[in-house]
Amino acid sequence: MAIVRTPFHWCVLVTAIAFFYFLPVLGLYDVIVFLNYVNILVIVALGLQMVTGYCGQVSFGQAAFMAVGAYSCAILKSYFGINFWVLLPLSGIIAGIIGVIGGAASLRMKGFYLAMASIAIHFVIMWLIVHLNFTGGTTGLSVSPPQIGNIFLDTDERMYYIILSVMLILTYSARNVVRSKVGRAFVAVRDNDLAAEVMGINVYYYKMLAFFVSCFYAGVGGCLWAHWIMVVHAEQFTFLNALWLLGMLIVGGMGSIPGVFFGVISIRLLEEFVLYISPVLASNFSWLGLAPAASLGVMAFGLIMVLFLIVEPRGIAHRWEIMKASFRLRPFSR
Amino acid sequence: MDQLSQLVVTGVLGGSLYSLVAVSVVLIYKSTQVVSLAHGQLMAFGALFYWICLSLLGLNPFLGFLLALGATGFLGLIIEQAAIRPLIGQPLFTSFLMTFSLFMVLDGIFQLILKGQSKSFPSIFPSGLLSIGSINVPVSKIFSFVMAVFVFGLLGIFFKYTKIGLGMRATSENHELAQSIGISVKSIFSWIWIISAIVAAIGGIAAANVMDIHYPLPYIIIKGLIVCLLGGLESIVGALVGGICLGIIENVSAGYLDPFVGGGIQEVAAFVVLLIILLVKPYGLFGEVRIERI
Repeated sequence: MAIVRTPFHWCVLVTAIAFFYFLPVLGLYDVIVFLNYVNILVIVALGLQMVTGYCGQVSFGQAAFMAVGAYSCAILKSYFGINFWVLLPLSGIIAGIIGVIGGAASLRMKGFYLAMASIAIHFVIMWLIVHLNFTGGTTGLSVSPPQIGNIFLDTDERMYYIILSVMLILTYSARNVVRSKVGRAFVAVRDNDLAAEVMGINVYYYKMLAFFVSCFYAGVGGCLWAHWIMVVHAEQFTFLNALWLLGMLIVGGMGSIPGVFFGVISIRLLEEFVLYISPVLASNFSWLGLAPAASLGVMAFGLIMVLFLIVEPRGIAHRWEIMKASFRLRPFSR
Repeated sequence: MDQLSQLVVTGVLGGSLYSLVAVSVVLIYKSTQVVSLAHGQLMAFGALFYWICLSLLGLNPFLGFLLALGATGFLGLIIEQAAIRPLIGQPLFTSFLMTFSLFMVLDGIFQLILKGQSKSFPSIFPSGLLSIGSINVPVSKIFSFVMAVFVFGLLGIFFKYTKIGLGMRATSENHELAQSIGISVKSIFSWIWIISAIVAAIGGIAAANVMDIHYPLPYIIIKGLIVCLLGGLESIVGALVGGICLGIIENVSAGYLDPFVGGGIQEVAAFVVLLIILLVKPYGLFGEVRIERI
């Protein structure tokens, strides 16, 4: 609880949470769908932030681990009829275990080599999902909605409460993990793994732990995704999705929990903006072709990342810190 | 036996394409320590420029070839000046992320130009099948193989005898030492981007000759990077050997394992090989083992 420092913080926090819980009452359907997607992405990106931002092990495999979570809960539900509330942590743990097996690769390599290994892991996992018997192949699996008592959570508004609650719990625990012994060990491994080892940190153990936590988050996100969309399909977890997740971290800021929120929201807004503007552009400029949304989206995403890498490599979170400091020091700040 | 030799020959010819892509990445890594994903797009744009020269402008094939290489080299120069140079002095991983963002930008432009269609070169290259004994080989693949061998020969000569080539080798050893004996490291960086862009363009044209220009073309770079890791990131010979090895592995595993798992081994074989290589010999077959100090 010490992450909330002043009474003012408490007020802002409680108001914000209350606002988001009352939001479905307003009946803004599009906003709810947008927020559902953002919240799930925040969960997955938080995991990536743990392993990449804090522990320094770049992973392109987050989308595949999300797929592992989604598929494992779809399979367990349809074959064994396990309850949603058991499945939620269980799919996270399954994804985490597979993540640790994949992360074992980081024993001997790091940096670019590890990034390539994670690309390979992504493609191997996705290939297995498409080619194994019990995953439904290219057609995918359908998932029945979760249920509390007699209420089926089958609409976007009803799932919104679940997704928001899980997101809040996981954000809270991520905030706390990061400022604990484990989080400091992650940062030490990121900054210089040899030096960390000399200081008595078990580098390999903490790397494995980072992979487990990150894949746990991805698995939980995947489980929520599967129950929200109610269909899991290999096309939902492409390599491009993994790239978008990494891009969200770059834009938001590596090694910062608020950065995840900034990154996810700004990239999602950018995507929505491109989806909104591309029909307008296509009708005005015929040389763009009939459906330029996909290519324009990729292009805008790439350009934003290029700009952030050149102008502000520490992301929006760094700007946010500067802004907060200047408000705190007023009138002595410039 | 016939099946095996057929698979191996197809593998060698297909692998030569991977070698071409890989060597353009190796060139960049050797002198600037940047691992570039953007070369996948550079090769796609090389093929695209060539297609524009041949089909839209109707130029002579040879002239069009030179023009396409020039245009791609210029694109490489722009990338180096605009995006890579501001990152000098930052962690190496930032440059990797930068090339990956550039990949996305160029991918958007590439798809915008293609509009979901696929383009193929007009039939200036011979096509059909060539039969040697019991082995059948498409002529277009032989053509790209010859191109790859030619490029590797030229690169060998370039690095051994020309002044810029020697400068590049010196720069790849040590930036500061190279600077102190009067080599302009900055201009070497620009040159190396131009040359590797041209090599990538040749690879792209050879690839497009076999598989048409459509949206998965840039993604050959992932295979190219696997080849780099297989052969070692610093080694040009490694790129050649690694590419051919990967081609053989892909084809042989597809030929013998596909009946058991129901197809699709070819897509995943490369990644399994990569995982094994990274676990067993992380620096590749010909790479230098780096010693780290605090």
